[in-house]
Amino acid sequence: MDDLFAVPRGWLESFGEIVKFCARILADVASLRVFKYFGEVLRQAGILIVSSTLVIWGLVFIIGLQCGIEGAYFDRSVGVPAYAGVFAAWCDLRELVPLCFGYMMAAKVGTGIVAEIGSMRISDEIDALEVMGISGVTFLCATRLLGSMLVLPFVYLCSIGAGFFASYLAVVQQIGDVSSGGYFLIFWQFQNPPDVLYSLIKAMAMAIVIVLVGCYYGYTATGGPVGVGTATAKSMVFNIVSVHVIGMLGTQLFWGANPRAPIGG
Amino acid sequence: MSFEDPEGTPIAGDLAGGSAAAPAEPMLTTRPAPPPGASEEEYANHSYKVYPSGRRNVVEFDNTYKSFGPNQILRGLTMGIPEGMVSMILGPSGTGKSVCIKHMVGLLYPDSGDVRVQGESVPDMPDEQLFEMRKKFGLLFQDGALFSSMNLYDNVAFPLRQHTEKSEQEIEEIVMRRLTEVGLGYSRDKLPNELSGGMRKRAGFARALVLEPDILLFDEPDSGLDPVRTALLGELILEIHREMMEDAKAQKKPYLPTFAVVTHDIMSARRVADYINVLWRGRIVEAGPAQDMLNSDNPFIRQFLAGESQGPLTMD
Repeated sequence: MDDLFAVPRGWLESFGEIVKFCARILADVASLRVFKYFGEVLRQAGILIVSSTLVIWGLVFIIGLQCGIEGAYFDRSVGVPAYAGVFAAWCDLRELVPLCFGYMMAAKVGTGIVAEIGSMRISDEIDALEVMGISGVTFLCATRLLGSMLVLPFVYLCSIGAGFFASYLAVVQQIGDVSSGGYFLIFWQFQNPPDVLYSLIKAMAMAIVIVLVGCYYGYTATGGPVGVGTATAKSMVFNIVSVHVIGMLGTQLFWGANPRAPIGG
Repeated sequence: MSFEDPEGTPIAGDLAGGSAAAPAEPMLTTRPAPPPGASEEEYANHSYKVYPSGRRNVVEFDNTYKSFGPNQILRGLTMGIPEGMVSMILGPSGTGKSVCIKHMVGLLYPDSGDVRVQGESVPDMPDEQLFEMRKKFGLLFQDGALFSSMNLYDNVAFPLRQHTEKSEQEIEEIVMRRLTEVGLGYSRDKLPNELSGGMRKRAGFARALVLEPDILLFDEPDSGLDPVRTALLGELILEIHREMMEDAKAQKKPYLPTFAVVTHDIMSARRVADYINVLWRGRIVEAGPAQDMLNSDNPFIRQFLAGESQGPLTMD
């Protein structure tokens, strides 16, 4: 019987460890201790802007095109091609832009954090930091979290713009079943400013989890370069699952009770 | 234990050494029982003699135990690092030398027993105090542990930028002086991966020195170096220690600079050490000033210092 529960117990244990570690990082940010290293926060924010923004926007742009194309052909098939804007408004804003943002954050930023902090761990750089009287959690993890929190809302809002622009290009300019004015009429009817806020909340929840999980797996990496590789893979699995769980819970919470669809009066 | 009394006179030490009276004979207390799960036979060569150094101990281990899973590394370690000396922690590979260093700076905590630095218990320190205490230490890691994202100059300047309010000009002056001392003044803009192993160690040495710590720890500074580079690094350690001693005396610092070198290289020990702790199976076999240890009649120490294959130390 003990063996039967050993695996789930192990999962629970590591989940508990992750939560405890993440709470330490959040406490460092909330207590403003991280501002001792504000220069490092800005450096991390800069790295995020320079190295990850374009790739996130690129992926979201492609997904926006897909949403537009599939929406346009589907609506044509059921005889309402003028309603293609519904897909752009819902598919982009509520679901696919947050998901794609989460995917790219996990793949590019999350794994990057694990690899960087993990390599620092195995080459004793984190121990060297600690011996200099600098908390590794604050200097390496809390600064990355705050840097992300400063930059990512803007990156995400621009991503939504990229997705919308791509859908518009696909529906109006490429397929052309609906005029620009007709498209925008439906497009704006099917969304409200709170939807943007909810979408932003979903994406930021994903981003925060991804950065925290990346920091955890990097900081606790053991077993040399192979250990860093294993930690990177584990973080990717955890983050992709988290992205979907947050996406699902967010949709249920924000639009489950009231989808705010102006259909049928 | 062997701490200063209020007047500043060291009080006679115990097993960890450090007595002011400096008797010629080693201090002996009751022979400790072997650690749990070990036989008396395994520890037959541990004479536990501690020849007095005449100095107070700045770092003390008190019956410290540490295990990693089933591997018992420190098994009742009682050891002292005397102030103002270059001490060696000498012992076969895998006997817990690097673990000792990590205990001194609070990177590892003992399962039981105590580790004290300048009289204060490291495991009992809250985080804030621990980070403050660590500023008294400089630590040279085996491979230098330089930050790979920074060039040499920024690596050495890093502790100054984080912990002092010095201007960039003052920082540059200190950093260049230290880099020049270790012979790397011309490599200031290089990244760590552009340096050889020996250069990385010297750069790590420069970084450990910039905050002028009270206690400098070296984790196997000779590993991976050829004999000539090892000898040169040994000379550099001695020279810097001499300089720091003069500075500390001139500035009347409360603690004289103490160096502790972890190694299994006997030649380094012969050349550099003022004081030697010989560690085996998680305990001190014998400890004392270098001359006493080099003349020791303990069969394990004789074998180890002579580097002979015959004796108590085998491949097991």
